[in-house]
Amino acid sequence: MELNARVPAGPLAEKWDNHRFANKLVNPANRRKYRAIVVGTGLAGASAAATLAEQGYQVQVFCIQDSPRRAHSIAAQGGINAAKSYQNDGDSVFRLFYDTIKGGDFRAREANVYRLAQVSNEIIDQCVAQGVPFAREYGGTLANRSFGGAQVSRTFYARGQTGQQLLLGAYGALSRQIKAGRVAMFTRREMMDVVLVDGRARGITSRNIITGEMESHVADVVILATGGYGNVYFLSTNAMASNVTAAWRAYRCGAGFANPSFVQIHPTCIPVHGDYQSKLTLMSESLRNDGRVWVPKNQGDLRKPADIPEAERDYYLENKYPSFGNLVPRDVASRNAKEQCDLGKGVGSTGLAVYLDFADAISRDGRETIFKKYGNLFQMYEKITDSNPMVEPMMIYPAVHYTMGGLWVDYDLMTTIPGLFAIGECNFSDHGANRLGASALMQGLADGYFIIATAVANYLGTNKLEQINEHAAPFLDSRRGCEDRIARLLKNSGGGPAGKCTVDEIHKELGRLMWDNCGMARNATDLQAALEELPKIGKKFWDHVYIPGNTREINQSLERAGRVADFLEFAEIMIRDALTREESCGCHLREESQTEEGEAKRDDANYSHVSVWEHGGDGAPKLHKEPLSFEFVTPSQRSYK
Amino acid sequence: MSSSINLTLKIWRQPHSDALGSLETYTLDHISTDMSFLEMLDVLNEKLTKEGKDPVAFDHDCREGICGMCGAIVDGVAHGPEKEVTLCQLHMRHFKSGDTLVIEPFRSRAFPIKKDLLIDRSALDRIIQSGGYVSVNTGGTPDGNSIPIPAKQAELAMDAAACIGCGACVASCPNGAAMLFTSAKISQLALLPQGQVEGKERALAMVAQMDSEGFGNCTNARECEAVCPKGISIRNIARLNREYLTAVLSEG
Amino acid sequence: MWFVRFVTSSIGKKLVMAATGLLLFLFLLTHAAGNATIFMSSAVFQDYADELHSHPLIVLVFSSALLAVLLVHIGVGLYLFYENRAVSNNRYVVSKRVVKNSLASATMPYTGLFVLLFLVIHIFGFTFSPKDVPISSTVRDMLSNFFYALFYITAFIALTFHLSHGLWSMLQTFGVNHPRYELFIARLSLVLPLFFFLIFGGIAFYFMTGLGANY
Ligand SMILES: Cc1cc2nc3c(=O)[nH]c(=O)nc-3n(C[C@H](O)[C@H](O)[C@H](O)COP(=O)(O)OP(=O)(O)OC[C@H]3O[C@@H](n4cnc5c(N)ncnc54)[C@H](O)[C@@H]3O)c2cc1C
Ligand code: HEM
Ligand code: FES
Repeated sequence: MELNARVPAGPLAEKWDNHRFANKLVNPANRRKYRAIVVGTGLAGASAAATLAEQGYQVQVFCIQDSPRRAHSIAAQGGINAAKSYQNDGDSVFRLFYDTIKGGDFRAREANVYRLAQVSNEIIDQCVAQGVPFAREYGGTLANRSFGGAQVSRTFYARGQTGQQLLLGAYGALSRQIKAGRVAMFTRREMMDVVLVDGRARGITSRNIITGEMESHVADVVILATGGYGNVYFLSTNAMASNVTAAWRAYRCGAGFANPSFVQIHPTCIPVHGDYQSKLTLMSESLRNDGRVWVPKNQGDLRKPADIPEAERDYYLENKYPSFGNLVPRDVASRNAKEQCDLGKGVGSTGLAVYLDFADAISRDGRETIFKKYGNLFQMYEKITDSNPMVEPMMIYPAVHYTMGGLWVDYDLMTTIPGLFAIGECNFSDHGANRLGASALMQGLADGYFIIATAVANYLGTNKLEQINEHAAPFLDSRRGCEDRIARLLKNSGGGPAGKCTVDEIHKELGRLMWDNCGMARNATDLQAALEELPKIGKKFWDHVYIPGNTREINQSLERAGRVADFLEFAEIMIRDALTREESCGCHLREESQTEEGEAKRDDANYSHVSVWEHGGDGAPKLHKEPLSFEFVTPSQRSYK
Repeated sequence: MSSSINLTLKIWRQPHSDALGSLETYTLDHISTDMSFLEMLDVLNEKLTKEGKDPVAFDHDCREGICGMCGAIVDGVAHGPEKEVTLCQLHMRHFKSGDTLVIEPFRSRAFPIKKDLLIDRSALDRIIQSGGYVSVNTGGTPDGNSIPIPAKQAELAMDAAACIGCGACVASCPNGAAMLFTSAKISQLALLPQGQVEGKERALAMVAQMDSEGFGNCTNARECEAVCPKGISIRNIARLNREYLTAVLSEG
Repeated sequence: MWFVRFVTSSIGKKLVMAATGLLLFLFLLTHAAGNATIFMSSAVFQDYADELHSHPLIVLVFSSALLAVLLVHIGVGLYLFYENRAVSNNRYVVSKRVVKNSLASATMPYTGLFVLLFLVIHIFGFTFSPKDVPISSTVRDMLSNFFYALFYITAFIALTFHLSHGLWSMLQTFGVNHPRYELFIARLSLVLPLFFFLIFGGIAFYFMTGLGANY
């Protein structure tokens, strides 16, 4: 596997311009002869599809949900970053670039991140022009807030529904192209395979979720925008249908998978309350601006929080990190919460929660002020937990939230398979080992609106592609392969459910294994154990899973089974990746690599690289490395003390 | 505090669009009151699966009330008895042990049932496709701050833009009208200078599309507003009426 | 043609209902004002009636216009009723209205039809009554019949219901809905229909109870 990032030459600030100039173009009159497939209609997919169609390409778009508007991006709450520096507080493109690189703990590619910061401003202009109702100041200008501990206010937001509003903007642009006939929209389709012809991506095989039919779709380029794989843990803040299937199928066709073990765990989620639980709900990070995190000093203290006197409370973040206090970055806050619970000081019925207390803020600023700031969130919390944070402290616990890892892509967002591109959360490109708040939305839209069209034009302009149709052998083979796989999934279903297990049972088992052994803090022993345990779960799945119904109808169990089967395979490279990276960086904490104070310790000498995994057929996956060099910034050790 | 309840469920079962459906009765014991409604359905489906029966098909994705995918009529009310929540945000603590719940799919002439509680709402997408956007291409847009927008105006636009497209308004309208949905998008864009440019064409096109999809006629019954999980006001319908009237008089 | 497209659109039909409803409502205002003279004395009332009928052209133009408006209102109203019923009939095994006080809005076609029945009887009774008897006597004689008057009062109750939703609905249809005036409009659409009820119902009550026996 060749990993050529094709980073353009020149000074950092000129790379993107140089690249755009050097790239080949496609004549406007010729564009309609080319077909593009976009899988996924989140921020990345919808914006890419709309932009390509506006430029004249014929685009086919796919999503799992019944409407493109429902992609998981809709759930993002907090906001989107841009280097507008409207607040005159010292922000700049370079600072956004630097913060993102540093936040990623120096495990991302400089040129990509700089470009992201460069186009961030255009994203805001684009969204405003689309009618996205961003929050405004009384004078009518755009409002900003500081988010996720950033020192500048560069986050644009639309109440707590930023992702929704940005997605609806992109969905509008996409809808306009559907109306214009340049986009063919395929909803309720699940991509099952990438089809390669002569080593190039030339189409996909998809399953119609309503009829169960396997369909082939032919194109000149295939763009994956299929989101993250957090659901490998079963419980996460991701939507239920979020999956690794599309990316995993691409990997099996030869695309490299980068940094699969880099998973962000968000500190402020509503704790698990029972084994029936299906997903975790994120509570906005902004709560940590006024809430104080604490646990009882004594283990197993079962008193009500109000009955625990001040002297017997441990405000562990404030004590340990005096200068950042409750506002330490996500990974630090998460790890510390886990540490307290592991020490037996966790609260709530499961002992897996810590308090986030607003009592001090309320007595300082008054009930009204606090309610005005967080009322929405408090009500949301109360709906779920039946407890009012104005009266008793909230309980929170970390939950899987975002996956920095993904398909490896070069500067043009192309995977190691020519003609196969990956954008948004499903690629690995910009966030290194940890993502800053409000940067995922920025990246998805940057990729979709402003980067992918240039890359596609260059690819089409430099490669001559043969005419093919869906009767070509590779398409038939792919369809047959997908049908066989479904037949294998259904093979246990003959004799009824007795003695078998359900898809969810296996998924939960996998989730527990991953959470316990490849979660917030990792060590060689546990990872090794997980690597041994994993095939057993896989075997159990294939030998015992019971799926009711058949394939020629709506069969939601079958849909889930397909995704779980891929998670089971994928988990292996996740564990291997965590095992081989014997350093701590960003969200990846190896217990063996800590400073004396118990903080994450990076090892730049040995691990300043992207780990890229290649499918090894029946053998073990192969590890490749893309070295990272830092020409424009100097890697430093993070410290929040 | 969490406790557990026993329920009888009567759920609409229909194998596919062309089949005749009927209500099936199930009993479900030891349901924790901390569960969400959809988690309760998950438990039912696990149980049905283990009994070798076909689980109930229902749409869902985000499970936090924002994607608009979930929804059913519970005891005659869209998204169930609690105000301003989607079905996935409804918790079982709102029910009592011994309750019998009747669960039916969102119905409308424009929403064919695909299976059980799962329906086809693509008519709503087609309404948006007919004009629910500002016609700008990517790139070349003016600076975000070049047109100031009064904060209040932006807030009103956001109120309308909060629509999640779940279809509860249609399902609960006695006439099966899609006015609240359509008016929410038209209002959002009519309130912003960016959207006003093509406001008239938009109103005409979206109403024409809405009518052609087979939705009913609004009679101001207000049920839509009462069940809307996002609290979208029928003031938006009034705005749509105004927009439509001025559009029709000058450009229709 | 744009006008046809307009009146056949869903919002167009609503606007037709609202516009005709508004005209009918304005007619009711004048009619109520005229009829209120009954409470003054039979002579005043008779003068009012005679004065009105001394301008046959005006009466003809106005009543035909009114009839046309009424026919459109009824026609479109029934059309909407049937169209909507086709969409909504027996949709759910359990169906429930969430909005409180939805009785008036749910019964618009029925209260409307009842008012229509009333109008037919009313017009045959009074407008086409024998020309040689003074109208004030006809009113007295007919309304002194208990059941006849009771029917009148019932019809006015129906009208009150019809208008209590109708007035608010008309304004909403014309796009008049603003938080500042919400309460005012809510009150208005209660007070005005009640006002009509008091005047029209009062007349029936006046004769029915024998208060106006010596009229
Ligand atoms: C609760 C929450 C809050 C967040 N808040 C923020 C925030 O405030 N700021 C921020 O910057 N980021 C935030 N994020 C992260 C951000 O929302 C996501 O990273 C981003 O939206 C991902 O966008 P995407 O376009 O890459 O993919 P997605 O939006 O996940 O879209 C994936 C698409 O791919 C389709 N798809 C997937 N698999 C297949 C398949 N096999 N076949 C066909 N189609 C498929 C899906 O149908 C969907 O359309 C948040 C995330 C969560 C979970
Ligand atoms: C003096 C008599 C009448 C008056 C003053 C009157 C007034 C009104 C008004 C103001 C409305 C509201 C319009 C809107 O919703 O925008 C209305 C609605 C309606 N009227 Fe009448 N009306 C009268 C007689 C009738 C009659 C005889 C019928 C017979 C069918 C009728 C049927 C309806 C119906 C069905 C509606 C509801 C239409 C809708 O909401 O879309 N009305 N009326
Ligand atoms: S599942 Fe997304 S709104 Fe309910």
